[in-house]
Amino acid sequence: MSGYRQAKPTEGSDDPRESGHHEHRFDRRAALKALGIGASGIAAFSCSDREKAERLQDEAAQIPADLDWGKAPCRFCGTGCGVEVGVKDGKALAVRGDLASPVNRGLLCVKGYHLPGFLYGEDRLTHPMRRQADGTLEKITWDEALDLIAEKFGSALKDHGPESVAVYGSGQWTVFDGYAALKWVKGGMKSNNLDPNARLCMASAVMGFMTQFQSDEPMGCYEDFEAGDDFLLWGNNMAEMHPVLFSRILERKRQSPGTRIIDIATRRTPTSDYADLYVEFRPGSDLALANGILHLLVKNESIDRAFLEENVTFRRGIEDLEQIGYGCYGDQAERYTFKDEAKESTFEELVQFLEDYTPEKVEAISGVPAAQIRSLAEMYGQGYRNTVSLWCMGVNQHVRGTWMNNLITDLHLITGKISRPGNNPFSLTGQPSACGTVREVGTLSNRLPADMVVMNEEHRKTAEEIWGLPEGTINSKPGYHAVDMFRALSRGDVKAMWIQVTNPWVTMPNLERFERKPGDGRFVVVSDIYPTPTTDVADLILPSAAWIEREGVFGNSERRTQQWNRLIDPPGEAKEDAWQIIQVAKRMGMENLFPWPENDWHEPMFEEYRRFTLGRGKDLASYEQLKKTRGLMWPVVDGKETSYRYAAGHDPYVKKSSGVHFYKAKGYGERAALWLRPYHPPAEVPDEAFPFWLCTGRVLEHWHTGSMTRRVKELHQAVPKAYIEINRADALELGVKTGDRVRVLSRRGEIELPVEIDGRGKTPRGTVFIPFFDESCLVNRLTLDAMDSISKEPDYKKCAVRIEQAP
Amino acid sequence: MIRTLAKWMLLFSSAIGLGCQEEPGAQDSVPGRPGGLKSAGWVRAERRAFDGAPPVIPHRRFGPPCLTCHNDRGIDVAGVGFAPANPHARTEGLSDRSRCEQCHVFRHSEEVWTPSDFTGLRQTLANSRSAYQGAPPVIPHRVFMRENCFACHTGPAAREAIRCTHPERVRCQQCHVPVTTNDRFLQE
Repeated sequence: MSGYRQAKPTEGSDDPRESGHHEHRFDRRAALKALGIGASGIAAFSCSDREKAERLQDEAAQIPADLDWGKAPCRFCGTGCGVEVGVKDGKALAVRGDLASPVNRGLLCVKGYHLPGFLYGEDRLTHPMRRQADGTLEKITWDEALDLIAEKFGSALKDHGPESVAVYGSGQWTVFDGYAALKWVKGGMKSNNLDPNARLCMASAVMGFMTQFQSDEPMGCYEDFEAGDDFLLWGNNMAEMHPVLFSRILERKRQSPGTRIIDIATRRTPTSDYADLYVEFRPGSDLALANGILHLLVKNESIDRAFLEENVTFRRGIEDLEQIGYGCYGDQAERYTFKDEAKESTFEELVQFLEDYTPEKVEAISGVPAAQIRSLAEMYGQGYRNTVSLWCMGVNQHVRGTWMNNLITDLHLITGKISRPGNNPFSLTGQPSACGTVREVGTLSNRLPADMVVMNEEHRKTAEEIWGLPEGTINSKPGYHAVDMFRALSRGDVKAMWIQVTNPWVTMPNLERFERKPGDGRFVVVSDIYPTPTTDVADLILPSAAWIEREGVFGNSERRTQQWNRLIDPPGEAKEDAWQIIQVAKRMGMENLFPWPENDWHEPMFEEYRRFTLGRGKDLASYEQLKKTRGLMWPVVDGKETSYRYAAGHDPYVKKSSGVHFYKAKGYGERAALWLRPYHPPAEVPDEAFPFWLCTGRVLEHWHTGSMTRRVKELHQAVPKAYIEINRADALELGVKTGDRVRVLSRRGEIELPVEIDGRGKTPRGTVFIPFFDESCLVNRLTLDAMDSISKEPDYKKCAVRIEQAP
Repeated sequence: MIRTLAKWMLLFSSAIGLGCQEEPGAQDSVPGRPGGLKSAGWVRAERRAFDGAPPVIPHRRFGPPCLTCHNDRGIDVAGVGFAPANPHARTEGLSDRSRCEQCHVFRHSEEVWTPSDFTGLRQTLANSRSAYQGAPPVIPHRVFMRENCFACHTGPAAREAIRCTHPERVRCQQCHVPVTTNDRFLQE
């Protein structure tokens, strides 16, 4: 029996035949059960009826199979919905929501329902191509391509050292791709220039969790959606960005009408339509708002003193605006390396620090009425109600994103509403394996697997031991973070760069700064499945196998590791990204890194990687177990997953009989750190010359740069091009109406696009919104490359623009 | 029977005509077959990527919430046509406050961005069968999200081939059992 089938729900079966000897019967019965109609549906039948019905069904099952179905997690966002893919004659023809998946329970969103379409665009890349001197592309063989990469990376290493090579990866990398890249770059080339697009996406959440718990990723899980009473969404348009999870909240609200959804945002979105309270703050002032809530919690004595005394310690970092900067001006422009320092603090200091954030003062900064701030404080303070805070890009893509992450978690620490069902700060992720690959494997310039870092000698030794490399192999100096990596490429400090599964020439902020022409003396390889603006500037293009065209593992937002098998063949000569890396490493004389047989390397690679996680509170399930299940949430100890980290009775690492134990935070005496973080203004604010705030973001139908979703007819036709949302009053003043074209200019660039007024999103006066999926209308020509001081994640949500009628 | 079918085909065609920017009537004819009318099955297929995918919304955006017209029985909307019932009216885990546009999207353009070779699964009625003549046919599709059988099997929106002859017998699954799949699951 396959693991897949064993994973079907069989508990409580009274039928011995269900042990899996009879394939058809087993499948059908399990499917009935999954539908929840097994026993009850048949209960009305007499025994003979039942037998007849079963015989009927068995006969039906003898008919030749129509489609073959296989499980996989969805390829798009970080929710990690389970899907079943219907395959016939080597082609994916259909998907359906996986009823057995605890994430989505059969439901999908419009992107998920249209998954197979993205694989079949006529312009799929099917063979390696090298750019000629005249700019045209020439088809070459894999051998030639791999030799060329090995030669270019080899010569860069030899002539310019490990700082001159770079790999720019992705939160869409499978665990295999990320692990192969990590091992090759850090263990093979002795470089740390490995960073992912997830740096642009959830690095602030990583640093939030690391600074407070010294271990990354949330303590809660999706079960919080059924256990929470109040859901506070911080700058998070969940109805469009995490629709299936939002459905779970709506269902919770239906079943328990007292449930409240609070939308704390800078613009009205479809999420606001479902909110019980809409709180609108001025861009960047969420820092003040969160401090204002903390102020009231302390003042109203709505805090959990016993919890604080037992589990929390206080810290304070560098708060001087001049010293920190924004990473985009003056001396910091080429490389931004600000490092925060943790200083011990106390509860008394916190109280004093919060004196500044009275509701009236916060109202003046944020524009949020003092009464609303009081309501929010009341919600967080109500000990009898369960509170979940959710956030994604609004908080993370923020010049003080780590601070904002800290403050939201502070709200939960100070009230003791953490690591309990329905009480958690929960950061959502935007990519399918931002957690599984980037955060857990550690494909960041400073990281190693399982929360370890290259700066720590012990951590390096652990990695060297598992990898069988001599001591001192791994470089202790962190490499370039994403934005600096591209600045270094533009400068010429990076000579050879490999980009996989991502599209930086659409997504980097302040794009014009990174413009490049092939043949500028640097060597850029791009592995992708379709032509994109990034392949347009590549010297070498490699065709990748996507999603179900290869075996893979993703890890979603709730720490769930999900495995899938190869279900169809990739088109042409397309190959999976991990294979590409392994082949190059072998050509560079690093075959010792990948000692596994060529036809069976996934499982041994995963099991090697898994060794990093065991015993560290990040324990992954065995590959064998992952194959059989719809994913498991780590830590998985003795084959059992963990819903709530740090919680007694849930987390096997907690030995206490009740309460919580932040056992990973060794540096804080195994307590969580509550950080004092002040308000700082954004890097650029509107003025007379550029009077509008620009916020960028996504729409439900398109995922990231649209290179996949725009190739799906139904999705493209729903939102065919980018547009600019303008407030009706502003539009009146500008003399434009829906459909008119306008020019949008910032200090860095300009674009032209049509206006939309009162569409799905409604911006307040003085703010405009543009989605970033449209490569023919690059909003990142306008954005600013200002970064979070700690995570180095750029702020795509706040810069100043001017709007003119298009000529 | 043929007359009824044709009537409903016309109704369907006019309903999609409203949603598109094309000239009236352009949607009615079959490409390559001048004067030929699209079958209900054709119209159904045109509105979704594959059998099982959520259909796109074939009309323009009207003011009231979707469920005003697409309630659990469907209503005749003057000047528009019959609004089919909501087949998810009894779906567990799907709130009546759920966001329809999470899965069903409008067609704001008739263009494709880049051509695609994707051919989705087509609906086949061949899986619907009875043990013997007169026995109740089995349910050949998954019931999840389609718990409200009446949405597709009764009323004006029901296609002739799957129209229920006895809607007064309310509890369908008393006689019709779901065979959710004939399919094999892919092995390692």
